[in-house]
Amino acid sequence: MEFLLEIMTEELPPSHVRSAVEDLQDKLGREFAAAQLPASSLKTFSSSRRLVVLAEIPAGQPDRDMVVTGPPKAAAFAADGSPTPAALGFARSKGARVEDLQVLTTERGEYMGLKTSVKGKPAAEIIPGLLPRVISSLSFPRMMRWGTGLFKFSRPIRNLLCLLGGRALVFSFEGLTSGGMTFGHKLRAPAPLLVDSFAAYREALKTHGVTIDAEERKAVILARISEHLTPIEAELYADPALLDKLASDIECPFVVMGAFAEEYLRLPLEILSTALREGMNVFSVVRGGKQLPLFLGVADTSGDPKGYIRKGNERVLKARLADARFFWEQDLKTGLKKRAPGLKNVVFQDKLGTYDDKTQRLKKIVAYLAEKAEAKSLAKDAVLAAELCKVDLITDMVREFPSLQGKAGGLYARAEGFPETAARAIYEHYQPVSLEDEPPESLGGALLSLADKLDTIVGVVGVGIQTTGSSDPFGLRRNAQGVCKIILDRRLALSFPRLVDKVMAAYGDKIKRPKAEVLSYITEFFAGRLRYIYEKQGYRYDLINAALGAGIENIHQTLLRLKALDALKASPQFEPFILMAKRVNNIVGGQSPSKVDPGLLTEKAEKDLYSTFSIIKTNSAPMLAKGDFVQAQKMVFRLQPLLDSFFEQVMVMAKESKLRKNRIGLLLGIKKILDPMADYSQVVVEGEKAKEKK
Amino acid sequence: MSLQNLILSLQHYWAGQGCYLAPSYDVEVGAGTMTPDTFFRVLGPRAWKVAYVQPSRRPTDGRFGDNPNRVQKHHQFQVIIKPSPADIQSIYLDSLKALGIDLAEHDLRFDEDDWESPSIGAWGVGWQVMLDGLEISQFTYFQQAGGIDVFPIPVEITYGLERLEMFLEGKDDIYDLQWSDDVTYRDLRLDEERQFSEYNFNQASVKGLREAFTGHEREAGQLIEKGLVLPAYDMCLKCSHTFNLLDARGAISVTERVKMIAQIRALVSRIAKDFTARETKPEGAR
Repeated sequence: MEFLLEIMTEELPPSHVRSAVEDLQDKLGREFAAAQLPASSLKTFSSSRRLVVLAEIPAGQPDRDMVVTGPPKAAAFAADGSPTPAALGFARSKGARVEDLQVLTTERGEYMGLKTSVKGKPAAEIIPGLLPRVISSLSFPRMMRWGTGLFKFSRPIRNLLCLLGGRALVFSFEGLTSGGMTFGHKLRAPAPLLVDSFAAYREALKTHGVTIDAEERKAVILARISEHLTPIEAELYADPALLDKLASDIECPFVVMGAFAEEYLRLPLEILSTALREGMNVFSVVRGGKQLPLFLGVADTSGDPKGYIRKGNERVLKARLADARFFWEQDLKTGLKKRAPGLKNVVFQDKLGTYDDKTQRLKKIVAYLAEKAEAKSLAKDAVLAAELCKVDLITDMVREFPSLQGKAGGLYARAEGFPETAARAIYEHYQPVSLEDEPPESLGGALLSLADKLDTIVGVVGVGIQTTGSSDPFGLRRNAQGVCKIILDRRLALSFPRLVDKVMAAYGDKIKRPKAEVLSYITEFFAGRLRYIYEKQGYRYDLINAALGAGIENIHQTLLRLKALDALKASPQFEPFILMAKRVNNIVGGQSPSKVDPGLLTEKAEKDLYSTFSIIKTNSAPMLAKGDFVQAQKMVFRLQPLLDSFFEQVMVMAKESKLRKNRIGLLLGIKKILDPMADYSQVVVEGEKAKEKK
Repeated sequence: MSLQNLILSLQHYWAGQGCYLAPSYDVEVGAGTMTPDTFFRVLGPRAWKVAYVQPSRRPTDGRFGDNPNRVQKHHQFQVIIKPSPADIQSIYLDSLKALGIDLAEHDLRFDEDDWESPSIGAWGVGWQVMLDGLEISQFTYFQQAGGIDVFPIPVEITYGLERLEMFLEGKDDIYDLQWSDDVTYRDLRLDEERQFSEYNFNQASVKGLREAFTGHEREAGQLIEKGLVLPAYDMCLKCSHTFNLLDARGAISVTERVKMIAQIRALVSRIAKDFTARETKPEGAR
């Protein structure tokens, strides 16, 4: 039986629509199933003013057989066959006659009982009871009240249409009564429409200006766009997020193409497209990658016979572009250098001073980074970029379009004739803004981005602001992930503790928290971020722990370690070696340091082990220095059979303390080779997993 | 239609909807929402319908008369109806039809735009109403004012008069608008925009403004103590305008901004609390 529910509202935020209909569909599905009316199909439709669910459900609940067991047969009838008080009482309590009782054969013997058939209720009786519950349970990121009601929803609900099997289903909800009526397009055909099926509903809406299927509206928009663009051999500058938003924001899709004066094409593309997208919600038009002085907007109407819509949008856009051009010209007139002192009035963080203070620190940090990244030739431009990179925060352009921060600064620097390296670095220095975003393409941009992000992290941690699950006001997680991404992407060999130290030094006495405390907090924090990144890349959690457990002094090396572990994990030598490494760890754990003296080695097994150990010690060092963890790992695998014999044939805990210390010294020497490669104790091997289960 | 005819039409229309027409308030405000005719009417349980024109001063929007769209003082037509009627959207659409706009020929949209005014602790849910891409109104269901959940829920409709008039006259430059048949916006406002832009950005005494802010803030506190919430609220409005002028002078740092807004909000919250308590008392006890 066809079930249709339409919740008609005032205009919903486009971002609420999809999740709301999906939620509605899920909850209805569950309620139907729980009410023994399982839906065989469930579909959703929506527009800016409608949340619609269409379902196919049974006409009613199935009938159920019910069996109630009464007294044992033996106790139910007297010797003469007449019913006992027990039988009479049972029958009476069930509202039945004693003749209706039947003999039931159970595990415990024969009993008297009553078999009845419970009639299932028709769907029309059940559904009105469950719908108010379903509608009330929908939730939205932001909810509101209206009128004199206490109920909260995304926007006011104005009508409820509910059909079941071609008939209106009536229920009351928050002052509304449902029925078989809906309304057409608010402006074009607001008349009430009586319908008796989904087909009739869809059709009536169609003829009254409403396309109820979001995918259909999208298809219409795209088709209309290509009607506009094909004849002029141009293309849409694709923006799927904008298309989604616009298709949810209307009921009747129509596409308007308008033009703006060509002179605005002189504005940088980034600024032009931002003004079009953020200011006006319209698409850009390109030909061969170059922007044309055209735009495409989506209107909620069926036509623009007098061209009012096009002209209106053109007029508003012209004002927007005139503003953008005004900002561009005004900002350029002042120039970044001249504007820079204004940063003294902009607070970065209460205890950490202004953006001017930050700028001074960035200059120092980026100079240090350029030296460490062996890019001394870059240092001058990188420092210049640091000096200017925050100035765009106080330009009119960024005040109007905050998403242009960094980019605007870079564009201004270029237009003012600063070296391209510096302009590029400024342009890119907020990148990557997320793990999905690209890191800066230029080394200058990468270094400035590192400096900026680390400066924020160290400062915020340094004054003791806590980042917790829900609270991360300075975006430290995002910043730390950005730092990791840049370092990993560029394979920068930087000493993390020294870098943090350098940033702390740049802060001078502004940071009151003890250095060691800040460093350990930040190290822990970054380890957490790296774990998050590696998990997202699909590495095994125990290998991640092993790679990070060996320390994150050099962030890039954690990835090399992890890749080596990952590459070797399937090797037959891997697990025996891990078990051996754990054994070494267990034995030397808590032992005082001692050194091995080759003269004191007595047994063959320990002599063999020592000789291989010496060779590996000499050879692995340069491999580790190069970051070739795979080769180094493979080499230490060779210790495993020797260690095996060693443990079998040699008594480590010898009675004679000299021998004992010497053997422990040998194992400590081996541990010292292993430690920088990974914290093997974190690796979980098959044999152990079985043990854990027991 | 001239701007003054636009005002007359809207007044006529909303008076017809049962609104009392309030005179414009005589303390500088940044928006019609801030005047007592909105702020106090949305609080408490009583039903209200009010409409009025309110000159709105936003010192940082000054452009020395050079910008065809931005001015440091514009005019809003403000409507408050409490509780919000079920057909308020169509009542609003009819107001546009009453201005002679044939909506069938245009693209009219209610675009999500929740509204918030931190300094008076108020927020609401609603839309900016876009006509062929131009924002002509704000349409808001108030949810909180002075930090208090409002009930019943008032609806606020704010028409940007200059914007709407530019649409009606099909003009690209605000100064080309007709205020009346004989007088243009330029005649009335250009010199004012130039002079006040100069004052707002370059001449206003930062020291004097700071002292004024402190003074008004202190006085508001004292008036609240005496139960004089209406004059206390005026003092808060003066604080708010003084703050806006300091902002235009570039004299407020980010932290200071937060602190000053919090100061105003704290006062306004106390006023809202005291006022609501009085409104909910039975008639004789007031």
